[in-house]
Amino acid sequence: MVDAIVFIVSAIIILGGAVGVIFNQNPVHAALSLIASFFGVAVLFILQEVHFLALVQVVVYGGAVVVLFLFVIMLLGVEEIERFDDEPIPGQRAAALIGSVLLLGVILAGLFLSGPGGNRGAVALTGKPSQMVPLTTDPNVVQLANDLFTRNVFAFEATGLLLTIATVGAVVLVKNRGGEDLVVDEPGTSVR
Amino acid sequence: MFAYAASLLAQVTLEPFNRPAIDWHAVAPELVLLAAGALITIIDLVGLERVRKLMPTLTSFAFLAALIPVLTLWSQEDELPRSLFDGAYVVDRYSLVLKGLFLLTGYVIALLSTNYMSEGDYYDSEFYQLIAASILGMLVMSSSRDLISIFVALELISIPAYLMAAWRKRDLRSNEAGLKYMLMGVFASAILLYGMSLLYGLAGSTKLVDIAAALSIGESKPLITLAIVFSVIGFGFKVSAVPFHTWAPDTYEGAPTPLTAFLAVASKAAGFVALMNVVIVAFPGQSDVVEPLMAVLAGVTMTVGNLIALRQTNLVRMLAYSGVAQAGYIMAPLAVYGTNVDRVPSAMVTYLVIYAAMNLGAFAVVIIAARKTGSAEISSYGGMFGYAPGLTLAMTMFLFSLAGIPPAGGWWAKFELFRVLTDGNRYLGIMLAIVLAVNSVIAAVYYLNITRQMWFLPTPDGDTSRIVTPPALQVALALTLLVTIVSGILPGLVSDISGSLQLALP
Repeated sequence: MVDAIVFIVSAIIILGGAVGVIFNQNPVHAALSLIASFFGVAVLFILQEVHFLALVQVVVYGGAVVVLFLFVIMLLGVEEIERFDDEPIPGQRAAALIGSVLLLGVILAGLFLSGPGGNRGAVALTGKPSQMVPLTTDPNVVQLANDLFTRNVFAFEATGLLLTIATVGAVVLVKNRGGEDLVVDEPGTSVR
Repeated sequence: MFAYAASLLAQVTLEPFNRPAIDWHAVAPELVLLAAGALITIIDLVGLERVRKLMPTLTSFAFLAALIPVLTLWSQEDELPRSLFDGAYVVDRYSLVLKGLFLLTGYVIALLSTNYMSEGDYYDSEFYQLIAASILGMLVMSSSRDLISIFVALELISIPAYLMAAWRKRDLRSNEAGLKYMLMGVFASAILLYGMSLLYGLAGSTKLVDIAAALSIGESKPLITLAIVFSVIGFGFKVSAVPFHTWAPDTYEGAPTPLTAFLAVASKAAGFVALMNVVIVAFPGQSDVVEPLMAVLAGVTMTVGNLIALRQTNLVRMLAYSGVAQAGYIMAPLAVYGTNVDRVPSAMVTYLVIYAAMNLGAFAVVIIAARKTGSAEISSYGGMFGYAPGLTLAMTMFLFSLAGIPPAGGWWAKFELFRVLTDGNRYLGIMLAIVLAVNSVIAAVYYLNITRQMWFLPTPDGDTSRIVTPPALQVALALTLLVTIVSGILPGLVSDISGSLQLALP
């Protein structure tokens, strides 16, 4: 019962935060809504008894990432709130709305049509709570470490390379050597 | 206080850490490329401007060095397939052929970039590091049989490509190319992750074989369908299948041309490898869902790609749309994998190998020609036979190959597709074969139009001075031309390597 209430409250916070990110005109408010959403997810992690991930969620996502967002927004200047009322393609907002509702409908229909016997809905995806068994009784961090450094060690190392190379590329892209904008058809020797 | 902490620590009984057994030989290609890439980065950091000229050469050597372990693995054939991490990473003949293909593609891309990067005002050392990282992602992708490593490999391929698409920083179109590609790619990744999370929920495992087992007894057909559709859409963006191709033309046109070649060949091939791994290993029992989906995607992709390519006046944009159409051809065998799974991987890999050679060759010609004309408009190729007969002959060969006209290699690749599609007399396969045949004719029109420009029409500005081809581009042209012609005249050589490939199950 407590589980259900906590779940519903945090689900509302997550979805409310997500909607707030999209609909807030002020980018700072949008970033703050994102924090609300991240915190809701952290609560869900605690509900699943994965305390370490909940901690990471708060420290890394709620803390570092959003603070970085806020830095960028502040540096770019938020005094001028850009209006996004014009539609480059006529009717794109309406089309996007209809598309999203249809997608939601398809996903919900998929969920609720699935499952043998009475196990319809999300149960079809994960099985009944009573049938679930915890993987091991090890503490979270040990489980996580075992998974990362044995079975998924290769993907883990590849992710390390990915982050390094993304940093290298991002530094190059933001470095500014100055100079005019280029207007050439096909670059070859003509680009200087 | 300390007593409390000690009691907490006492509760944690640490098991000894069991180091996973790693077959170092099997991952040697990846490790060699990783080490070489790291070495290049360090040399760049220490030497700065003094070593800038060396970077393309070093990168080329890195690709060739990584090719050595691929060959040694291939030579110890009786030890294949090698399986690591509980079967999440498999090295078999299929993945070795693909690794060879990706490394050689990387080598040619490095050759194509050499003059382009050093003569323009670019940060070129980092460009080569990003290319190497992306190729490394492709090596990982060829062997991945697990959702996590497939996703990480996909991002390792894509993120450097997003960055490189925007490499011509002061050109607005390049900025647009990078941004568009990144936004679309991230969107596709999100959809893919949704599909993957559904698959994980259904199977309780990220390993593809476990997913196959769970899906075959699963009674949740609507959910399975949803998961399959989402995963296929995610890969559909990567291979620029219609209707997920909208990023391709703008990105191809705005990105630096060597990178365009990279996107059109290597990145696209990697998308197909991911698609093959997932469809063939994880969905073997789900052909009733996947086959119609693939048939529709392939048919629409080739038709729309060809029809739009007909109207292009810019050669790079035309190659972009023709690449969309070619993606439709390559995807076609997956529409009959349910009954013909033994032949699907070899047909697709054969096509990928020959497609890589002929398309890289065509891009090499575009880059060489642009050094003189400074343009990729099709009209600027007028009368090229008059002042650059060798280049014209090479381009004609590549275009014949793309159109599927013997003796160039493309005909054999297409022939293999037809064989797989018509094998077993399946309604879906025959229909798709007919669509493919009609499309080949449409495609021949615009490929041959360029040949006509080069051979028969007058030079637009009357400038008939010779084209100087630098050595790196000469090597690239010679390599691609060699593969294109040899695979057409002696198709047996290609089928010796890429024939009868199977995805080994761990």
